[in-house]
Amino acid sequence: MSQSGLSRRRLLGLGAALPAAGALAACGGGGDGTTTIQFVAPEDPKNLEPVIRGFERANPGVRVKYTPVPFDRVNDVLQARLGAKDTEIDVFAVDPPRVSALAARKFLRDLSGYREQVRRDVLPGQDAPSYFRGRLWTMPIWSSTQFLYYNVDLLRKAGIEPPSSDPAARWTWERTVAAARKAQKAGAQYGLLFDQTDRYYQLQVLPASLGGGSGVSPHDELTPEITNPAWVKAMRWYHDLFADGLAPRGVSPDQMNVIFSSGHAAFFVGGPWDVGVFSAVTKLRWGLAPHPYFAGGRPVTPTDSWGWGVNPYGANADAGLRFVRYAALTKAGSLQTIATNPIIPANAAAFPTYRRELDRQGGDASAGAGALMDHELRHTAIHRPRTIGYIQFEDIMNKAFADIRNGAEPAARLRSASSALVSAWGQLR
Amino acid sequence: MAAESTPRTRRRIGRRTLGTVVAAVIGIAFAFPLLWVLTSSLRPGNDIFSYLSPLSIGSFLPIDPDGSSYVALVHSDFGRAIINSVVVSAITVVFGLLFSAMAAFGLSAVKFRGQGILFGVVVLSFLIPFDAISIPLADLFRTVHLQNTYLGLILPGIGNGLAIFLMRQFFLAVPGEIVEAARVDGLGWWGVFTRIYLPLSKPILVGAGMTLFLFQWQAYMWPLLIGTEPSKQLAPIALANMRGQFTVDFGQVFAGSLVLTVIPLVLILIFQRHYTQSLASTGSKD
Amino acid sequence: MSTREKARKPALTRIRHSPAGVALLFLAPGLLFLLVLRVAPAISAVASSLFHYSLLHDTTSFVGLDNYRTLFADSDFHHAVLVTLVFNVVINPVQIAISLALAVLLNQKLAGVRFWRALVFLPIAVPPAVSAVIWDVAFQPNGLINAFLRVIGVPAQPFLTSSDQALWSIMILCSWIGVGYWMMFLISGLQDVPASLQEAAQLDGANGWQRFWRVTFPMLRRPLAFVLVADTVSNFLVFAPVQILTNGGPENATNLVMFDIYRRAFTLGNMNLAQAEVVLLMLVTLVVVAVQFRLLRSKE
Repeated sequence: MSQSGLSRRRLLGLGAALPAAGALAACGGGGDGTTTIQFVAPEDPKNLEPVIRGFERANPGVRVKYTPVPFDRVNDVLQARLGAKDTEIDVFAVDPPRVSALAARKFLRDLSGYREQVRRDVLPGQDAPSYFRGRLWTMPIWSSTQFLYYNVDLLRKAGIEPPSSDPAARWTWERTVAAARKAQKAGAQYGLLFDQTDRYYQLQVLPASLGGGSGVSPHDELTPEITNPAWVKAMRWYHDLFADGLAPRGVSPDQMNVIFSSGHAAFFVGGPWDVGVFSAVTKLRWGLAPHPYFAGGRPVTPTDSWGWGVNPYGANADAGLRFVRYAALTKAGSLQTIATNPIIPANAAAFPTYRRELDRQGGDASAGAGALMDHELRHTAIHRPRTIGYIQFEDIMNKAFADIRNGAEPAARLRSASSALVSAWGQLR
Repeated sequence: MAAESTPRTRRRIGRRTLGTVVAAVIGIAFAFPLLWVLTSSLRPGNDIFSYLSPLSIGSFLPIDPDGSSYVALVHSDFGRAIINSVVVSAITVVFGLLFSAMAAFGLSAVKFRGQGILFGVVVLSFLIPFDAISIPLADLFRTVHLQNTYLGLILPGIGNGLAIFLMRQFFLAVPGEIVEAARVDGLGWWGVFTRIYLPLSKPILVGAGMTLFLFQWQAYMWPLLIGTEPSKQLAPIALANMRGQFTVDFGQVFAGSLVLTVIPLVLILIFQRHYTQSLASTGSKD
Repeated sequence: MSTREKARKPALTRIRHSPAGVALLFLAPGLLFLLVLRVAPAISAVASSLFHYSLLHDTTSFVGLDNYRTLFADSDFHHAVLVTLVFNVVINPVQIAISLALAVLLNQKLAGVRFWRALVFLPIAVPPAVSAVIWDVAFQPNGLINAFLRVIGVPAQPFLTSSDQALWSIMILCSWIGVGYWMMFLISGLQDVPASLQEAAQLDGANGWQRFWRVTFPMLRRPLAFVLVADTVSNFLVFAPVQILTNGGPENATNLVMFDIYRRAFTLGNMNLAQAEVVLLMLVTLVVVAVQFRLLRSKE
């Protein structure tokens, strides 16, 4: 027999394998009557185990299968798979400002039938980002805020009286920077660090505090407004922070909280989850204070965290919706989502429990954190702007922030970002 | 041959020693950053960046080795992901080498009209950036129910135009006389392929195998796009999943990436035995 | 064989015995995989470059070459092309030269040479995300490289935070990753050079340098062609280090075309425009590769 026949046989063999593989492929439902919900998010599986177990116990016959996706790719992957009407996703995590773009592309199931329940069960104002064109598209699961952390020892060495955690005694950015400079002179390596350096989530509040707006025109969601004097002033302040050496250039945001927790920075702007992180570092003596504002401006803080949405094409979308409601609207479910995850629950009934825990977690250092957090969420929190062009906006703005951090002239850089936005948003029309 | 004169032997040994020293310095220079990774993986996560400045010997040598990152790895899903990656990569290499070698043979051993065009198709195929076609390809795989399957992970790695191109270049150097002699002796084309070309090409099979292997070893976007579930997930994604939303345990990430680096290293060390193969005995080239 | 004998054999046997037939049978599986897994989706990608999706209206429409017109008018795209050309004009010859030099050095019978080769090869096995962290840390203003520079009296350099130095820094990173890999292929090529030819040249009185250029280098033409083409293609398609380290900045200084494509396709979700850019990139790469083939062939 000729040897080349072997190659043909191999080919046939492979061809036979394909349908067999298809039969082995996972599908949405189990053959034994259980319904399996496919859930995708960038979260550590350990942190979602409690809520998944809780839901499965309360709903016999339904299972949740969770697939984590790396944080740096989650939006890209979801966009690609949802765009292909992938039926293997039922529930997925949604970054609140992206609700508009996702809803416009029909990647989310309309949840408007539950608006009243959401309004009733979720912290006031936290449901706002879930709406687009008057309809409800996601349910908020978590929220966030920001505190000003400080290093007790570095402040003492510089003879600085630490700020209190009382929102009425809130420091201005000007005062913070002055204290940071003094601490650096007294030996601190860095003066003031931002957790999410170069990111819109963190920096939005700078121009907003000066009345410069969100950067998106309130009249047309696809028109930028980032070249007004307030924006330029805020960005010049940000530029100078790095030009003067108060904060380092060239260091990625991942490393910022590590620099603070290893005792090298006087001030650090970060979230409530850092209470747990810093408490675990025995050598660090720290405290927290309200997020600063610009003198003459108003105090504003970042907020929002992940919500969960349902894929309209998901094989088990109905069951998926039950899971989302369990995690968002029930006290037990919400508490389970934060059992191992130190983040603010968006559920109003679960909030007091979290607030108490936050106060307790850092001992003396975090006393008053709960009240402060409550105050910020109620009075100073601002959401990111609602626009179907948010993804382009964030991408272009983050690049502008990075360039300004590296020394680009703020007014000119904001102007070029503005034209980049005009052209990117033109593509959306 | 005339006897070697002593000064020349000394010169040769001197040159050889110098060569070894230079080679060692270069090797160490390339591996040096990984020494930092190794040291950092033996350190608690938070401390890693405090050893950067000022620079000290402690940046590169583990003073107080702490193996907890490695222990944590063992208890995580990472081990399973490594096994998945090894299996997927191995199968890709076996089938990829076979089909690529056959295709390279078809493009070099035999001359026929239209060969240039087919070679052009091969070259074109590796000009195509995989990321550009990954979305249409994922849609295709979803249509034939290959999402979330091992086959779905393996298949794109087998279609590797670079491996075909590589082997074709080396196959072109196989002397025509040997092939003609074998054919006259009655050997079929498959025999020529397996008994002449393949044995002469061991070094390049290693090279092509490594190309195929690395494609799968570093696959990141593709497994995500076809919806691979955690039990089938590959190592680079498991590594990336270690980065938490708020904090990154760099100790664990570094430990995991060293494990991922060591495996291809061991493979290349093992397979380099085949690198001393040469055609010196055959003499003539076309 | 005679026409009558040919006619008597069944068709399949005829294919088996005709050169083209045999070659095609060998080519079939590999080619099939390439066509299905690379060429077909590429054609679909080219097709999608002729459409436009409006997020505002949620409609897809055929727009012919509009996407290409948009790109040609976009100054960011122009800049990306410039950056890519500068990157490739520098990095390709440099990497080939270094790989070749390393291959020659590590092809000799030195003590532990297999181990040194493995060390030089090692960087390509490191997961890209970790390579990026390593060099992120190395290039930091307070990082490892500046620490060494300080020791020899050179002032601290901004590297990735400066639009002047960022692209060169990326080149160093890519070279660290790649040269060992390409070196391996060149070593295989060097192994193929018969020692007898080298000895003959030596007896003729040629020194090391002449031996290399007159004897070794011509025999390296084919492996070198592979390394040159493959390295060029891989450098034209580089984007992962940019994505992790600089995000195209500072001020678009590292905005390579492939990164621009990834951004448009995945982050901004404008697949159609991204695919148009892919087509343009592939055309440019194809031209460069064709020129390289021609150059290497004319020496024959």
